[in-house]
Amino acid sequence: MSGVWYLAWRYLLWHRWKAAILVAAVSLVLYLPLGLQLLVEQTARDMNARADATPLVLGARGSPLELVLNALYFSDEQPPTLSYAVVAELRDSGLVDPVPLYVRYYSQQVPIVGTSLDYFGFRQLQLASGRQLATLGEAVLGYRAAADLGVGVGDFVVSSPQSVFDIAGVYPLKMPVVGILAASYSPDDEAIFVDLKTAWIIEGIGHGHQELTRPEAASAVLKTEDDRIVANASLLQYNEITAANIDSFHFHGNDAELPLTAVLPVPRSDKARVLIQGRYQQHESLQLLEPRAIIDQLLATVFAVQRYVLVAMGLVALATTAVVLLVFLLSWRARRPEQDTLHLLGGSQAAVLSLMLAEVIMVMVLSVLLATLLVVLTHWFGGPLLKAVVL
Amino acid sequence: MIELRDLEFRYDQSTFALQIEHLRLEATEHVALIGPSGCGKTTLLNILAGVVLPHAGVVQVADQPVAQLADARRRDFRIRKLGLVFQNFELLDYLNVRDNILLPLRVGRGLAVTAALRERAEALASRLDIADKLDRHPQQLSQGERQRVAVSRALLLQPAVILADEPTGNLDPTNKFVVLDLLLDYAREAGATLLTVTHDRELLDRFERVVDFAELNSWRPA
Repeated sequence: MSGVWYLAWRYLLWHRWKAAILVAAVSLVLYLPLGLQLLVEQTARDMNARADATPLVLGARGSPLELVLNALYFSDEQPPTLSYAVVAELRDSGLVDPVPLYVRYYSQQVPIVGTSLDYFGFRQLQLASGRQLATLGEAVLGYRAAADLGVGVGDFVVSSPQSVFDIAGVYPLKMPVVGILAASYSPDDEAIFVDLKTAWIIEGIGHGHQELTRPEAASAVLKTEDDRIVANASLLQYNEITAANIDSFHFHGNDAELPLTAVLPVPRSDKARVLIQGRYQQHESLQLLEPRAIIDQLLATVFAVQRYVLVAMGLVALATTAVVLLVFLLSWRARRPEQDTLHLLGGSQAAVLSLMLAEVIMVMVLSVLLATLLVVLTHWFGGPLLKAVVL
Repeated sequence: MIELRDLEFRYDQSTFALQIEHLRLEATEHVALIGPSGCGKTTLLNILAGVVLPHAGVVQVADQPVAQLADARRRDFRIRKLGLVFQNFELLDYLNVRDNILLPLRVGRGLAVTAALRERAEALASRLDIADKLDRHPQQLSQGERQRVAVSRALLLQPAVILADEPTGNLDPTNKFVVLDLLLDYAREAGATLLTVTHDRELLDRFERVVDFAELNSWRPA
C-alpha cells in the first residue's frame, strides 16, 4: 500500500472504534432501504407463489387472513374449526378433490400438519428418503424441519403439549419418522406431516389405552354399566402407537364431527371452480377463499407501510450523512497539528487533502462491503426470518 | 552549505521583521544559533527549509536557491536534502516508530518505501538505541526516545543539511547530550552542515561556531 493510502489505513486502524462506528452508521444507511426492499420483494414473491399454487381454501367463518395464513403457511394463527363432514360434502359434489388440513399442534415450534396422502400429490412433494405415511402414528418431515429437529428416518418426534399447566390434558405423542421430503422451498419444508387421525389423537379426540377387561386394569375400573366401563385417571394411556397397541386406539363420537382447520378444494376444472365458489358464497358458517386475493390485500398493506418506512429511512439517511460529514470535518480540524507536521516534512496540500479523502473513501468502501454482506445475508436468511415474524 | 544575503522577511500581522545582511555556513560546519525566545530563530529555520518564503534576498541551501524553487521542487528538496528536527518531535501518534521514521517517504512525491530504506531505518534505530521500540507508538516512549525517533527520521535520506530547532529543549540532562552528539556524529561522518537553534548554553562547547541571532538580525523595532 502506498503513500497516503497507507497512512489513512493506519489512522483508521489506530482509531478503530471511531472508524467502526462510522462504517456501521454508513452501512446501515446504505443497507436498510435496500435490505427492506429485498426482504419485502422476496417475501411477496414467496407468498404469492404459494398462494398461486393453492386455488381455494375453505374454512369456518372468521378472519380470512388467519385462515389463509394457517392453511398455506402453517402459521400459529388458530382459525375456528369446521367439521370433517365438509370433506365428504365436497367430494360428493364432484366438482373438487378436497384435501383436509388440521394444523394446531407443534413439536418444538415445528408445526404438525394433519392431512391425507392427497396433500403430497397436490403439492407435488417428493420423498428424499424413507417412505410415505402408512399407519397411524407415523410422521413424514419436511427437510428443514428434519434438520432443525436433528432427526432422520428411524428417529422419533414428539408433539409438544399445548399447556404445561394442563395436567388433565393430552399426553405428548411419540411418532416415528418414516420419511423425509425433498426440498420444495415452501412452508412444507418446515412442517411435520401426519395422518389426519394422528393429528386428532394428538388433540386427544382419539386415544389408546389398556384393555379394561384385563386383570391388570382392574384397579382403574370405577364401575361397569351394561356395555360401558368407567375408569379413573390411573388407566394406562399409550403415548406411542405401536403394532402391539394400535388396535386399542379409537375415537369417541361421530367421525363426521371431527375438526379440521381448513380444506383445500382442488377444482377439477375452471367451471367447477366457479360453481363451487358460487355454492359457498353465501354459506352462513363456512367461507371459501381465493388465497391470492387475501395475500394481495396483505401485501398491499405491507407495501403501503414500506413506503412510509422508506421515507423515514431517507430522512434518517440525510441526518446520518450530515453527522458523518460533521465527524470528518471536526476530526480534520482537530488534526491540524498533524497536517502541519506533514507540511513541515515536505507533504503538499494535495497530499494532505488526499490523506483525508483516502480515509473517507476507505470508510465508504468498507461500508459498501458491509452493506453488501448484509444484503447477501438478507437474501439468504431474511425471507424466512420475516415470515417467522409475520406468520 | 548555507548562505543568506540581504534577507528580508516580515509577518503580515506583526511588526516583527528579519533583516540579515549575510550569513554563510560551510558544508561541514556545525553551528549553534542562540537568542532569546521570539527573536525569529525558528522563522529563520523555516525560511531555510522553504516552509516560508522571504520577501527579498538570496537563500542558498545545499547549492539550491530555495526561495526561487517552484513549490513542488521546494518540497522535494526539503524531503531529499534537508533533515529537520523539532523541539516537540512532530511524530504521528497513529504510526509506530518504524512508520514514523519512514514518514517522509509516504508524503513525498515520487518516493517509495524500499527494502533498502527499511534496512536503513532499522540501522538508524539500532544506532540510536531504539531498535527494540520499532513496533511501539510514540505514546509508549520516553521523551528522549521520541527525539531519537525524530532524529532517525531526519537522517533517513542522508541529508546534506540538518536544521534542528531546539532539539534538546524537552529532554533531560543525559538525553540532551546523547541526542546532540548523535546529530554531531552524523554531520561529521556525512560531511553535512548542522545548524542548531538552542537556548542551552551548556551545549555550546560542542559546536565549532556560535551565532548570536540578536547580532545577526539587523532589524530593530521602531
